[in-house]
Amino acid sequence: MQTVTLVPKEQFKISVEAETITPDNFAGKSADEIGAVVAYEGNAPRPLSELFEISVDGSADAADDVKIEINGNVNRVKRIGEAMTAGLIMINGDVDMRCGAKMKGGTITIKGNADSWVGQEMTGGEINVQGDASYYVGAGYRGEACGMRGGKITVFGNANDFVGEHMCGGEIVIKGNAGIMPGVSNKGGKIVIGGDTDMPGSEMTKGTIIVKGKVKDMMPVYQKEGIESVDGEEFTKYVGDVVVDGVGELFVK
Amino acid sequence: MSEMRIKNATVYDPINGINGDLMDIAVKDGKIVDSVGGSAQTIDAGGRLVYPGGVDAHTHIAGSKVNVGRIMRPDDSRLNNKPRTKVTRPRTGYTVPNVYSMGYGYAEMGYTTAFEAAVPILKARHTHEELEEIPILDKAGLTLFGSNWMVMDAIREDDLDRLAAYVAWGLLASRGWGIKIVNPGGGEAWGFGKNVSGLDDPVPNFEVTPRQIVRQLAEANEKLNLPHSIHLHCNNLGKPGNYETTLATFDVCKDIKSKRDRQSLHVTHVQFNAWGGNHWGDIESKSEPIADYLNKNDFLTIDMGQLVFGSATTMTADGPVQYANARLLKARWSNGDVELEDSSGVTPLEYHPQSYIHGIMWAIGLELALLTKDPWKVLMTTDHPNGGPYVNYPMVMTMLMSKKRREKEMEKIAELTFDRTSIAGIDRELDWYDIAIKTRAAHAKVQGIIELGKGHLGVGADADIAIYDIKPDETDATVEFDKVEAAFRHAAYTIKGGEIVVKDGEITATPKGRTYWVKATAPADGHERMMEDLKMKFKKYYSVNMANYMVQDEYVEHPYVFETGYQ
Repeated sequence: MQTVTLVPKEQFKISVEAETITPDNFAGKSADEIGAVVAYEGNAPRPLSELFEISVDGSADAADDVKIEINGNVNRVKRIGEAMTAGLIMINGDVDMRCGAKMKGGTITIKGNADSWVGQEMTGGEINVQGDASYYVGAGYRGEACGMRGGKITVFGNANDFVGEHMCGGEIVIKGNAGIMPGVSNKGGKIVIGGDTDMPGSEMTKGTIIVKGKVKDMMPVYQKEGIESVDGEEFTKYVGDVVVDGVGELFVK
Repeated sequence: MSEMRIKNATVYDPINGINGDLMDIAVKDGKIVDSVGGSAQTIDAGGRLVYPGGVDAHTHIAGSKVNVGRIMRPDDSRLNNKPRTKVTRPRTGYTVPNVYSMGYGYAEMGYTTAFEAAVPILKARHTHEELEEIPILDKAGLTLFGSNWMVMDAIREDDLDRLAAYVAWGLLASRGWGIKIVNPGGGEAWGFGKNVSGLDDPVPNFEVTPRQIVRQLAEANEKLNLPHSIHLHCNNLGKPGNYETTLATFDVCKDIKSKRDRQSLHVTHVQFNAWGGNHWGDIESKSEPIADYLNKNDFLTIDMGQLVFGSATTMTADGPVQYANARLLKARWSNGDVELEDSSGVTPLEYHPQSYIHGIMWAIGLELALLTKDPWKVLMTTDHPNGGPYVNYPMVMTMLMSKKRREKEMEKIAELTFDRTSIAGIDRELDWYDIAIKTRAAHAKVQGIIELGKGHLGVGADADIAIYDIKPDETDATVEFDKVEAAFRHAAYTIKGGEIVVKDGEITATPKGRTYWVKATAPADGHERMMEDLKMKFKKYYSVNMANYMVQDEYVEHPYVFETGYQ
């Protein structure tokens, strides 16, 4: 087991693009080697050693045996864990956009809040956000046909608008409330919202959305199918979006 | 200026009939010369392959529709990103790269000249602003005339001199190189939500047929003695069964006599126009009758419009076909209306090898090139970025050179493709000389720029030279296709106007290229009648004032003006 601990040296004012912070990239490397890995602060390439205090405990041959712990505020550090295939990242604080984008495996746990696009286009693995998540949880990049394709995202707090936009697979669980239009343009996958939301599933062609709280407004594009029970709870089932010949399933209390 | 000598070069220069000779090339002041002094900078090619700089006679690299593609495709902008270097600006994009990247990408492959294939006059100013910023390449734009009110009115009134005068004025106004015709008449019909169904379907409100438009513009082209022939995108593009329209369109120009040493008709991206069948279910390749026609006739040339699997951004002045594509594929769609001149559309799409329709399209492009015996008649293009991005040219070259490479590609293509195409049975493999024709020499000939020193390495030609890291006499391109592709992707040297712009696949300098345009004199009485009509059109219909319409010289900072005209 290799444990890498990163502590930011300062509160970053300019955002840092750190897609290089992944278990895959750190596996088997010493603190010096990890320190030489480059991230971009604005448009300037910076070695991680200039940005973080780095300590390494133990060693590992492969990513699945690596744990990265980030202590401190990384709310201006983007793309942490991008395309990681295995291992564990613990972020003991808030994190900036696109954390876990294109992730293929492993686990990311965020103790604080996650900014927008957490788990963007991920295909596998698991992300747990213990605080709130901002916009576009598990969505696609602008213009991308598919958002999240596999894996699981759990947000224990609330999420903002457009949860799982263009989602094609996988599962998103929001324990709290979600903003407007969760599952917009969905083509697959499952979204479970524990709290309230608004206008779910517009342009959904496939997939499932379950809303356990209140739905403020429904888009007028769904056909009612009757009452159905999911995991012991009774929901009204709708199918749509009929405008795009969708067969998505929407369960509303 | 400097002198340079390239020694031990294995040169293929089809325009001068040089076929793999081991020789030295001397360069002085940006031109090829007989010899240079002993102090000249020397590059030892060591027997490696040397071609004239590549020429692309049909591509979409600048202008409003490329920009619309960029706006529509932020997902594309994050592909192929490369940070700036000491000499290059940052690069983004695959199907619609950023402006600078267009020049870098071509130069890396040994290309030095490219023709933007569709410039509406109204949007020409924007096009030139982009062309001017594309580094390294020499450029030119083909001006759209095929659905233009002034053109159609002159044709209806059977006034060829007025038509020729308008073409001359349009080329001046757009600083254009030649006549581009896209779905003749269709762009105007699209303004009313319609299309023209074939050569004899009259354009609404104008009562002229596509046949008349093609014919009269071809005649006007010869009347003005333009360097390029008309450049035609046929009617019914993208519809199963369209090969009949294509063959009938060829016939329209059969007896047009070219005044120059070139074809009298160039039909572009014929892959999209060589489809048999009646609907998507029974679509099949009809490359054979088209290749047969090309084998029997010498008045026309075509380019492939080869399909490359993966992402593409289709963009054309053919508005209706883009609407059909977007509806069929449930894809994004952008539509443009260019006032009195044309329409346009942009739709991103993905070509899947598992789709037999895309498989058939892939096969047709190669069949056209391989079944047509004379390599000078079929240019290698992908109609960038409609059939696929230009960065894939090296792959297409290897597919033309190697049956094994084609077979490797066929393994991933839907089975049904091969019942409806003949690609699997074609054994022809092109050699180094043929590829030089298909990627440079024939492009220069078709566009009429040989006399400007393009596409060849004769004494007096521009010193545009590509050296590839491969030795033709030691390489079997039919087997070692991966090696060949890698060499073509990253030229060992690209030399543009005597300056080394690429070394070992890396950009080393980014000089500004020229923009070629044609200044043609028109019949004087025709010009008078044309101006009268034009002033009326501007007053009544255009949203811009005539005085603000023409591209000024300030927009074309590095011009090369080709003067020609009516005698």
